[in-house]
Parts: sequence; structure tokens; C-alpha cells
Amino acid sequence: MRRSRSRSLFILGFLTPAGLLYGVFVILPLVQAFALSMYRWRGVSAKKTFVGAENFDRLWADTVFWQALKNNLWILVVGGIVLISVGVAIAVGMKGSGRVGKVLRGVYLFPQVISLVVVAILWQFLYNPSFGLVDGGLRKVGLPTPDKGWLGDSNLALPAVTVAFVWYALGFYIMLFAAGIQQIPEEVDEAAELDGAHGWRKFWGVTWPMLWSVKRVAATYVVINVMNIFALVYLMTAGGPDRKTEVLLTYLYEQAFKNTQYGYATSIAVANFIVAMALAGILAFVFRKNPEGARS
Amino acid sequence: MKKFLTSIGLLLFALTVVVPLLWVLLTSLKSGPEIFASPWGLPSSPRFENYGNAWRAAGIGSAFFNSILVTLGTLVILLPIGAMAAYVFAKYPFRGSRTLFGAFLGGMMFPNFLIIVPLFFLLKNMHMLDTKTGLIVVYVAYSLSFTIFVLTGFFQALPSELMEAAQIDGCTHAGTFWRVMMPLAKPGLIVVGIFNAIGLWNEYSLALVLITSQENYTLPLGIANLVMVQHYQADWGALFAGLVIVMLPVLLVYWIFREKIHETMLAGAIKG
Repeated sequence: MRRSRSRSLFILGFLTPAGLLYGVFVILPLVQAFALSMYRWRGVSAKKTFVGAENFDRLWADTVFWQALKNNLWILVVGGIVLISVGVAIAVGMKGSGRVGKVLRGVYLFPQVISLVVVAILWQFLYNPSFGLVDGGLRKVGLPTPDKGWLGDSNLALPAVTVAFVWYALGFYIMLFAAGIQQIPEEVDEAAELDGAHGWRKFWGVTWPMLWSVKRVAATYVVINVMNIFALVYLMTAGGPDRKTEVLLTYLYEQAFKNTQYGYATSIAVANFIVAMALAGILAFVFRKNPEGARS
Repeated sequence: MKKFLTSIGLLLFALTVVVPLLWVLLTSLKSGPEIFASPWGLPSSPRFENYGNAWRAAGIGSAFFNSILVTLGTLVILLPIGAMAAYVFAKYPFRGSRTLFGAFLGGMMFPNFLIIVPLFFLLKNMHMLDTKTGLIVVYVAYSLSFTIFVLTGFFQALPSELMEAAQIDGCTHAGTFWRVMMPLAKPGLIVVGIFNAIGLWNEYSLALVLITSQENYTLPLGIANLVMVQHYQADWGALFAGLVIVMLPVLLVYWIFREKIHETMLAGAIKG
């Protein structure tokens, strides 16, 4: 009896510090976020009015919100396709490639470990019309450069930001797929080659289907990464020109900390969360059954 | 032939990663006119004073020390309390412990910005807004999920016989943890510490909202602020030097520990 009591006390004592901090600074604000989205509140505690779904009605009619959501989805689809296809291609290429592969293994995660702030500023500079590497290179080979700059042109800004996003995120997906490829059993590889499957046929017949669980993880991370984009856009374009690169979280930041529309801003946060959940739900449906059975 | 083409492709990709970073490094040694004259050119003679200017005049030096303070301050609190919780989850199962573990892990999934408004007011009411202490406490709370996740794996891998032996020798539960298990988990603590340190050093979004005065700026805030200010002062060399100051320490740490960091990232990524 005494032993079990000292055990319980020990468990309680050891979990309390972490539990307290996590409860107060993570769980509590999370609960408050959902509640706050139903209030009209400008930060003065006395003037907090419950308005039910009013913020969401307003959101529904807010063209900037839809524009931002559209931009998020654009980056999700275009960026996601590039991340997954290029990620797989490089991971496949890296397998068994000698010296070059080794060099690449050392550097491909560089963009992941440097701060997103550096990535954003770096790409803003790369695109700079007067001293940027991109326009400088284009001029060198005699190609035209965009008049208003890449980030100033309303048709080019979103693709340009997506390129920066892909540059930043790609290493993570290469890592995932490289690990997945390593897990494909040696015999499967050999059997495929004995059956005469090489190159593309082997890739589509064996490698790609065998990567099923990695593809599911990768697709989920694309959703998480894209719905999380803030610093990159905020520092590269601040959502401009003319909201052409606005994403949900930059709009949230603007509503909360520039317009002091705290309740409304929180409803954007909740909408962002719901969209991410819905996308995750779609992915769970798409990947509901592994066609390869229990193997991978 | 095919192998050759693959190598060329991989090499091109490696260049897209490395060239922009080298460009920052080279540009950080150029003078203002040189930067504008030719983006692809080399500096005529390296201007190391750009670094001095960034460090002193642009306030990158003080931001550097703030970043060190905040990063180390977070780790000093995070690692012991994370390890304590992880140890309980790994070795002392109790009713509801799996649910609680799941609640801790949930924090790895949702975006920080979902809670940014309530968090801002929480800190405001606690008078911790715009303080390094407030930032450290928030960083500890938000790093707990990942830390507990990785360390639980580490403690699970340690043999329970060691615990039992220590307890037969008269150690209490807590004594066993501090004197026997913690030292054994040191490799895990180092990996998690480095991994967290990189993330904390780079963190921007939370700091942007929770820190307002320049004297409390961490490096990411400092360098972002410098970009705004540069549009008026136009010391571009110093700005590029500032970028190098932000990214060089992480790249060095990454290079030294890259195998371990790689493993940890992968473990964290595939858990779901």
C-alpha cells in the first residue's frame, strides 16, 4: 500500500511541471480560441460581446478571406505536386548514386534548418529587380525580366512565392521518400529486375506502389505545411500585390494585430483549422486502403 | 549513360540549394555599389566591416545575445521537465496515461497561429508580454510535445532491470531517475536539445507577436526589422552580413550533428 502511494505521488510530481505549462499555455488558449471566434471583441475586456456565428457569416461574405483561401489551395495543389514528384525523383536518383549522391545527402536539408526568416529575405533578394540573382542571370543570357519584378507582378507573385516555399520544404520530402525507398525489401527489387522490369516500368510497377504509406505521410505534411505558411509570405510580399499572395494566416495577423479585430481574427484561425481538418479527412479517404495489403 | 544523367540532375539540384546560400555569403563581403553593379560578380576585396556594421549599428549583436539567452533558457527548463514526463510515460503506466500522452502529442499537429490571439492576451494579463521570460515560458510549452515524444522512446529503450536494481539498492523513484536513468538518457537529451535549439533559434511567428520592443528582439526579429529599416538606410552589405550571422550557427551545428538530426526528424515525421 505504501509502495503504491509513493508511486502515485511520484507520477503526479513528475508530470505536474510539464502538464501545468502545457495546460496553461497550449490547451487553455486552444479552448479559448474556439470560444473567442464567437465574440466581437477589440481587446478591451469590458466590451466583449457574444455574437454567435456572426464572425463566420462575415467571413463567408469576405472576399479577402476567399482570396486567401484560394491562394492557400493554389500553393497546396501546385506546391504539393512539385514537392512530392520532385521529392520522389531525387530520392530515387540518390539511391545507389555514388559521389554526387553523397554530396547531396549532406546539403539537401540546408533550407530546412535555416530560419524561415532567412529563407524569406533570401528569396526576396533573389527576386530583387536591381541586384537579384534571378534577374541578373536572365539578363546575362539575354532573356527578358518582368517589368514590375517577380513579386510585384500580380500574375507572377504567387508562383514566385510557391517556388520559395518549395525550395524551403523540399528537403523534408526527399528525406521521407529516401527513407521509404530504403525500406523496400531487397528481394522485391531483385524480383522485379529478374522479371525484366527496369527504369520507368520498375518505378511505376514496384517502387511507386510500395511507397504507399510514405505518400500518405507526405501528403498529410503538405497540408500541414501549407496551412501553416505565415512568415514566408509575410516577409516576402506581406500578401501583396493587391492580395495576390495573401494566405489565411497573414490575413489573420492583419485582422488581429493591425485592425485589432480579435474575435474576427480568431474565426479565421478556426476556419483555417477546419479547412486543414477537412483536407486531412479527404486524404484519409483517398488513402483509406493500402492496395499492397499489409506489406508496406 | 543513364547513371550519368542522374548524376547531372542531382548535381543541378544540389546547386539550386547551395548557390543561393553562397550568393548570400559572397554578397555579404561586397560594398554597396558592387552589390548593385553585378549580382553574379565576386567582391573585389572582401569587406569584413559589413559584419561589424551589422553587429553594432544594426543591433544584430544584441539580438544575437537575446537569441542565445532565450534558446538556452528554454532548454534549461524544457529538458528536465520534458524528461521527467517522458520517463513517467515510458516506465510508469497508469490508468489514462495513454490518453494523456496523446494529449501531449496533439500539440505537434495544430498550427501555432490557431491560438495566437488567446495566447497574446494570456501573456498580457500575466504581464509577461514583451519579456524574454514570457517568450521562454511559451517556447517551453510549445516544445514539450516533440521533446516528450522523442524522450519517451529513449526511456522505453532503457532496460527496466536497471531501475529495479537501483530500487533494491534503496533508491527512491525520483532518486532512480536522477542518478541512474537520466545519465543513461544523455545521448537522447543531447539530440533533442540540439534539435530544439535549431527550431528555437529560428522561431519567428510567436516572437513577432509576443515581443514588441527592439531591446528584446531575437535574431529572426532583428534581421526582419533590419530589412524594413534598410529601405531607408540602404546598407545592403550589412544586411547580407546579418543574414549570414543568423544562418551560419545553425548550419554549423547541423553539419556536426547531421546524422543524429536526420534520424530525429525522420522519427518525428513518421510517428503519425
